[in-house]
Amino acid sequence: MGRLKQKGKAGAAKAYMTRSTAIKKLQCSLADFRRLCILKGIFPREPRSRKKANKGSSAPTNFYYAKDIAYLAHEPVLRKLRDHKAFAKKLARALGRGEWSSAKSLEENKPVYRLDHIIKERYPTFVDAVRDIDDALCMIFLFASLPVDSKVSSTLTENCARLAAEWQLYVMHAHGLRKVFLSIKGVYYQAEVFDQTITWLVPYQFTQTIPPDVDVRVMLTFLELYQTLLGFVFFKLYTDAGLVYPPPLDTAKDDGAAGVGAFSLQETKDSRSATTAKSKVVEVDGKRVSSKDVRQTIKTITTAGPSDGPDVDMHAIDSSVANEEDEEFVEDTAEEDTDDAPSAPTFTTATLPTLKTLSALPQSTSSKLFASYTFWISRETSRPIFEFIVRAFGGRIGWPATSGSGSPVDEADDTITHVIIDRPVVQRTNESEEERERRRRRKHVQPQWIVDCVNAGKILLEDLYAQGKTLPPHLSPFGEHKDAYDPTVGIAGTEEDEEMEDEEIIEGEDDEDEEEEEAARPGKAALNAAAAAAEDATALRAAELAAEAAGVDFGTFEKETKKAHKKAKSAQAPKDDEAEQDMNKMMMSNKQRKLYERMKYGEKKRATERQELEQKKRAIEKEKKRRSKAS
Amino acid sequence: MVAAIEAKKSSKKRKATLEEEVPPSFPEEVDLDMGTEDEGEELDDASDGEVDEFPEIDARSDTDDGDYAADGASAEGESEEDDEDDEESNDLSDEEEHHIFPKSKTIISDITGQPKRVYPEIEPDYDSDSSTEDTPNRVGNIPMHWYDDLPHVGYNIDGKKVLRPARGDELDNFLKTVEDPESWTSAFDTNTQMDKPLTPEELDIIRRLQENENPDANYDPYEPTIEWFTGKGKEEIMPLSAAPEPKRRWVPSKWEKQKVMKIVRAIRQGRILPNKPKTASAAPQFYPIWNDEPSNAPAPLPAPKPRLPGNAESYNPPEEYLPTEEERKKWEETDPEDRERDFLPQKYSALRLVPAYGQFIKQRFNRQLDLYLAPRVQRVKLQIDPESLIPKLPSPSSLRPFPLYRSLQIGHEAKRVRAVSVSPDGGWVVTGDEGGVVKLWEVMVGKEVRRWTFKSKVGAVEWCPRTDVSLFAVAIEDHIHFIIPPNLPAPILTASQNALAPANLPPAPSTPSPVKWTSVPAAQSSSDVPILTLNLPSSPEPPKQLVWHRKGDYLASVSEGQAGVWIHQVSRRHSQAPFKKVKGAVQLVLFHPSKPHFFVATQRYVRMYNLAEQTLLKTLTPGTRWISSMDVHPSGDHLIVGGYDKKLCWFDLELSDKPYKILRYHARALRSVAFHPTYPLFASSSDDGSIQVFHARVYNDLMTNPLIVPLKILRGHTVRDGLGVFALRWVPRQPWLVSAGADGQVSVWCS
Repeated sequence: MGRLKQKGKAGAAKAYMTRSTAIKKLQCSLADFRRLCILKGIFPREPRSRKKANKGSSAPTNFYYAKDIAYLAHEPVLRKLRDHKAFAKKLARALGRGEWSSAKSLEENKPVYRLDHIIKERYPTFVDAVRDIDDALCMIFLFASLPVDSKVSSTLTENCARLAAEWQLYVMHAHGLRKVFLSIKGVYYQAEVFDQTITWLVPYQFTQTIPPDVDVRVMLTFLELYQTLLGFVFFKLYTDAGLVYPPPLDTAKDDGAAGVGAFSLQETKDSRSATTAKSKVVEVDGKRVSSKDVRQTIKTITTAGPSDGPDVDMHAIDSSVANEEDEEFVEDTAEEDTDDAPSAPTFTTATLPTLKTLSALPQSTSSKLFASYTFWISRETSRPIFEFIVRAFGGRIGWPATSGSGSPVDEADDTITHVIIDRPVVQRTNESEEERERRRRRKHVQPQWIVDCVNAGKILLEDLYAQGKTLPPHLSPFGEHKDAYDPTVGIAGTEEDEEMEDEEIIEGEDDEDEEEEEAARPGKAALNAAAAAAEDATALRAAELAAEAAGVDFGTFEKETKKAHKKAKSAQAPKDDEAEQDMNKMMMSNKQRKLYERMKYGEKKRATERQELEQKKRAIEKEKKRRSKAS
Repeated sequence: MVAAIEAKKSSKKRKATLEEEVPPSFPEEVDLDMGTEDEGEELDDASDGEVDEFPEIDARSDTDDGDYAADGASAEGESEEDDEDDEESNDLSDEEEHHIFPKSKTIISDITGQPKRVYPEIEPDYDSDSSTEDTPNRVGNIPMHWYDDLPHVGYNIDGKKVLRPARGDELDNFLKTVEDPESWTSAFDTNTQMDKPLTPEELDIIRRLQENENPDANYDPYEPTIEWFTGKGKEEIMPLSAAPEPKRRWVPSKWEKQKVMKIVRAIRQGRILPNKPKTASAAPQFYPIWNDEPSNAPAPLPAPKPRLPGNAESYNPPEEYLPTEEERKKWEETDPEDRERDFLPQKYSALRLVPAYGQFIKQRFNRQLDLYLAPRVQRVKLQIDPESLIPKLPSPSSLRPFPLYRSLQIGHEAKRVRAVSVSPDGGWVVTGDEGGVVKLWEVMVGKEVRRWTFKSKVGAVEWCPRTDVSLFAVAIEDHIHFIIPPNLPAPILTASQNALAPANLPPAPSTPSPVKWTSVPAAQSSSDVPILTLNLPSSPEPPKQLVWHRKGDYLASVSEGQAGVWIHQVSRRHSQAPFKKVKGAVQLVLFHPSKPHFFVATQRYVRMYNLAEQTLLKTLTPGTRWISSMDVHPSGDHLIVGGYDKKLCWFDLELSDKPYKILRYHARALRSVAFHPTYPLFASSSDDGSIQVFHARVYNDLMTNPLIVPLKILRGHTVRDGLGVFALRWVPRQPWLVSAGADGQVSVWCS
């Protein structure tokens, strides 16, 4: 006989820990524990048996893995949090005694934790990190648009805005944007970076207020992590693309609400080998940047500026249509070669295809969808949204001064092909000849056109989206679950069998009418009887006679009976089958039955959802038709 | 050796040169006031743009400076103490020279031939240990009165008793003192229990104590002082000296001042941030964190991504997505947690009209709560067709024949029909209802041949399985009536009459039984009245079950109450109760079709007895709450048990005491189950008014499990007062079923 096993010494009782035990073990406050959980990405687990995990008690609690908590015990951040607790006490004492100088020095030396190791731990590889930046981007974009108050500091919002701009710049540079969806919640963007699909949601440009039932501290803790994560991710993205990170910010432009345009992408000196670029950056990081350095770098930038053309917009003006490939970014001639011709000879002469050359391969045409167009945004459309979309797809865009400074295109520019306008058409009397001419030459489309083009991957006809027209519905590019209702297919399908349905409907109406006046017209009743008793010869005969008496000629009678017969048969066949299946269900085990029922429930729910939508659609179509007939 | 010394010297020299080199960097005069001149001069030096390291100040010099005044004050006292210390240390060193222990001699050992140390003998004197002295009594320092009552006073070194020496009486003692002049200097020694003369030393101690002197004779109160630490030749050789305090002790350090001044200048110029925050600057530094090899540890699972938005979320969705008024109301009424969607679809004609989304922050917050507070479970998503879960069974159409439809129906005047039985030849059916009417009718056309009316309700009817006779038993009140149906061929009639009412009755059993057998003589008998009647002990209800043994001689009846099971033997006209006491209320009994086994079903268990050996074979636990019905397969190896809790259990008797299969398909309680005697069929009836027919194929080999296929649900009985179909019987040799229901109808179901 083996050793007696004591209860609670092995298995679930040992593997799980309740939150209060975890806090007791870590000797920290609940707030600190929450913070740690957020930063370290530790979440409660669901034990297979709650009772076993809770040592016999079935009280509702959250469980954490005991190992997770054991790892937390060695966390440097936890130590810093404890230091901070001591610091807070010291500071309170100093303030209470009025020792201002010591309070000041304490404040200056207060413990601050860093999250680098956590980033590395949670995302061992870069791809892991890129895969998980969805939530981070959503939060960054949200906080970039939040008003500053006592809880949300201005540095925070500024940093968020900077990170948001950096991300947009990168996506525009890499032409990574794939799908855009204008929803009622905001704009969903989907980009493909490092083969990872990243979706983020940007609210519309309105002032958001934080509702009182939202715990801002939790959001800020998340934001701490997200800022660090995005910093590292962007650093890697930029350096891999041969760009300097962080991109220098032109404060003058920024003050003029240039938005993304305030940043300028700048190539590293030697972007060929990523390693040297990195070492250089490390050097930059390691050194304390003095004002002299800054001045020097600015000087180099200005000298390099005209020849290299790092600024996206300035360069694009004069040579937009001529060189489409590099309207975003003009590189050295050598690189241009690889850019232009990724053909076999270049590959053979060049060394192995590096990441950069691979990324410079011609992307699908849809990623440069708007390369040959120049857009003008009228002032009521949101510039940040459409500037980002258009530039990400290789187009050029201009905006009036009311939407911010730094527009690369003037309104009078002849290259403008489209005007994105979101106003109803107003007849203007005092239009000059030139304006009229311009209006004639340019296509005025509503903003949805841009997004629908992007999602369709091709330039759609502008007529449907012309100014003042009722827009076609805007559908989600992300698709719905399998066998969900598809509005596009539904339209085509209904058109085809619309007639059938109409007939049926009419018939149905007739039915109703007939039931009312059945006494007067027993022909139908006879037919029905015939259908019911199609198998019985005598009954058939009787029905025939009844039909004759009612004045239905034999041909139609036969046809009807056949139809009815078929209907009855087709109704019966699946019924039999179903009954058999139902009986076979008796032989399922309990577990299987439950699983089956759950699956069936889901299926049925989806089917009813779909049916409801189809029904509504049919009703709407009918209504439309009736209205058009009436008019 | 020489080289080492040289090295030392050179290092010393280096130190010296180092010390010499330091001063030239501060050529200026050191002064306490921080003149601007000095700084001006230093400016040029410091303009190299390098940021100086914050110089370290020696902590020792600091304390030296701070304490030097105090040092000066206590310098006098200190020096005196020092002197004393000197002397002491000298003495100590002397002491070290004379050994505390006696000196040893080193001699060559005789035995080993090795040199060894020999110490001189220790002479025991006053303070030496006396424990080695030879005393006859070895009991040690114990209270001697312990030996008061004993003849001996202790033990000697060999463990022998030391006997108490003889002591004279008072007179002898007195005479002894008179005779012995030494006696006044002797004292009683408790250890040896006799008087011992005191030694001169002891006497001396006594004298000294009397005179209040120190008892130690060797103590000299006027000893000359021994100068251990002081005196000639014992001066302390230590750096404590009475040398005058050096100036540096109280003059502020020049070099230190120079250093401090350098720092001060650096601070003034901003080259040094005096209280530079030790913590890293707030702005995070980014570096290629993913450049080095990732660890082998698996990455933590990424958080599940939120669901992507569908068409309904569009600002301009197709119109069919817009909620109707009721849907909107319903959405608004449900709690936010219970809503299927967290938004209501809305349609805007233009993008500029889309307002801010009020729930944006709230929803983002909820997502974050999900991320860190929601337990996550990894689930394998099944990508299977639900239909594939349904077991594949042969189609019922391939398993024909089985009853499909109702061929005829016999009414019982709307009384519940609880009992039904089919004759062994399959031609006749007997039914009995609660009104006491027993009907005999024909299966094929349903013609009622005869009707008997009894006073109270019929509990059970059962045809005798014998083919050479034709009779059936009816259970009413406390009686079991045996009836011979009419219109029988003469030989069968006489055989039946002989079986039930023989001309010469068998001898009465030796043990009197409470069951009375009364019969009508064969000559006077008719089919109108029962030919034989058994009077059972009285019970409130009629026997609820009658079961014939397959040979038709034994009939078992089950009535309410304890001892309700009786086995009646028709040939011997004898009844016996097989069980004196049964645990639980007996519901049903059954004879095994081939072996002398007997099944007894109580509420929860089915017990299987061997009647020949009178032993319990096994107890089956169906797991139902209340057993309602039971039937055994014609092979005798399988048993089905129906329960009021809708379950049907199939037992493989050779396999286990637990059911092989539990089926739950009826909506209400099961009332009756029955195996077909020849076809592989069984059926169950329930209070939901339906009859379920199964195909049940049993294989001879032990490896193959029985095949159970549901075939048909027969509906036709109406449920009355929550009661459905009470009894089921198969027609032997035909796949037909006879069922009796609470609606007073008896139906025959044909294939």
